[in-house]
Amino acid sequence: MDCERVGDDGLQADKMDVLYGEADTAARARVDAHLSGCAPCREEMGELRAVRRELGAWRLPASQPSFTPRGLVLPRWLAAAALLLVGLGAALGAAGYASLRRTLVAQEARAADLERRHREEIRALEASLARRPAAPLDSAALLARLDARIDERFRAGEARQVERLDTRLAGWEERADAQRRVDMARVAASLSYLDGRHGQQLARTNELMGYVLETSAQKR
Amino acid sequence: MGRSDEELVEACQAGETSAFDVLVARWEDRIRGAAYRFLGSEEEARDVAQEAFLKAYRGLGGFKREARFSSWLYQIATNLCRDRLRRRRTRGTLSLEALEETGPVITDPRPGAHERLQQLDIGRVVRRAVEALPEEQRVVVILKEYQELTFLEIAQALDVPLSTVKTRLYRGLGQLRLRLEREGMREAAPLPATAP
Repeated sequence: MDCERVGDDGLQADKMDVLYGEADTAARARVDAHLSGCAPCREEMGELRAVRRELGAWRLPASQPSFTPRGLVLPRWLAAAALLLVGLGAALGAAGYASLRRTLVAQEARAADLERRHREEIRALEASLARRPAAPLDSAALLARLDARIDERFRAGEARQVERLDTRLAGWEERADAQRRVDMARVAASLSYLDGRHGQQLARTNELMGYVLETSAQKR
Repeated sequence: MGRSDEELVEACQAGETSAFDVLVARWEDRIRGAAYRFLGSEEEARDVAQEAFLKAYRGLGGFKREARFSSWLYQIATNLCRDRLRRRRTRGTLSLEALEETGPVITDPRPGAHERLQQLDIGRVVRRAVEALPEEQRVVVILKEYQELTFLEIAQALDVPLSTVKTRLYRGLGQLRLRLEREGMREAAPLPATAP
């Protein structure tokens, strides 16, 4: 005898919910109520549960994908050679991997150290910026400070100019005094010369006068 | 406790690309497993999984988070599998594994083939039974039975109503029941009449 509700989509949906544990209370109650009076559907639910158990027998292959189709029988020597090659490749690969890993680890350590130092520098800069008080910009004070600095520079320049002039005047005075002493010495020397010439002239005059007097005395 | 898929998606969208690595690590095996059950080829399944994650990564910016990330990922992978199956049908090709598994069993006319069939393990029988389902039912059976998605997630992944998912599953399980009995998995039981 068939189920009276064959083709009832609602009942089928409820059955699926119950079969997979997603039924709410109302759906479960509906299915239970139907199954209690419908032997074919009770049997069907039992069969579907069995089907579900059997579906679990199809398992995924545990191995990684292989390029060799399953069931193909390789000659022993070829299998051994393949095994040897695979072993060699694996050993080389492992050595390469270990070397690469060491390099990577070292690089990572260096990068981490660099990053840590940069972070410390950034933190120090941030701290110094945080410590520095943010002064409001006072343009009048700024101008006053600027004026004072300009005055100071001007006075310093003036003082340096006066000092340079004093030094130069002192030099000139020194040189003029020296020149004056030289000129005085020259005048003194000239006067001495003139004095000497005058004495000689006087002596010669006296000598001539004596000769004249002596000559006139003889004539008389 | 790791971050949820939704948090990782949000992080990706904010520019944290490494969050996508976590999503890949979390979902790669399941997506590859689903693709393997659709296509019957480990190599193709791996390709589909990679392609699905690539598409997901590229489309992450437009992902609206209305559906769960896993549903969206399954949707991408399912579509990729369907494309491959369509191309396979057009070209009339089968994967090596499919040939190896199904070819001799179904078509081998030599004496003793029936005995060999008897010796096949249950897993292969189940696999062939699932593969023989119409595509719409097969997708739902795989997502529900093997990927353990909820009905709502499957509906989101396939972009069909919830009731459609349940109907397809119901019919798929009915077909499997018939096929497994035909394969001699267990004693045939009287069947209730099914909907036309």
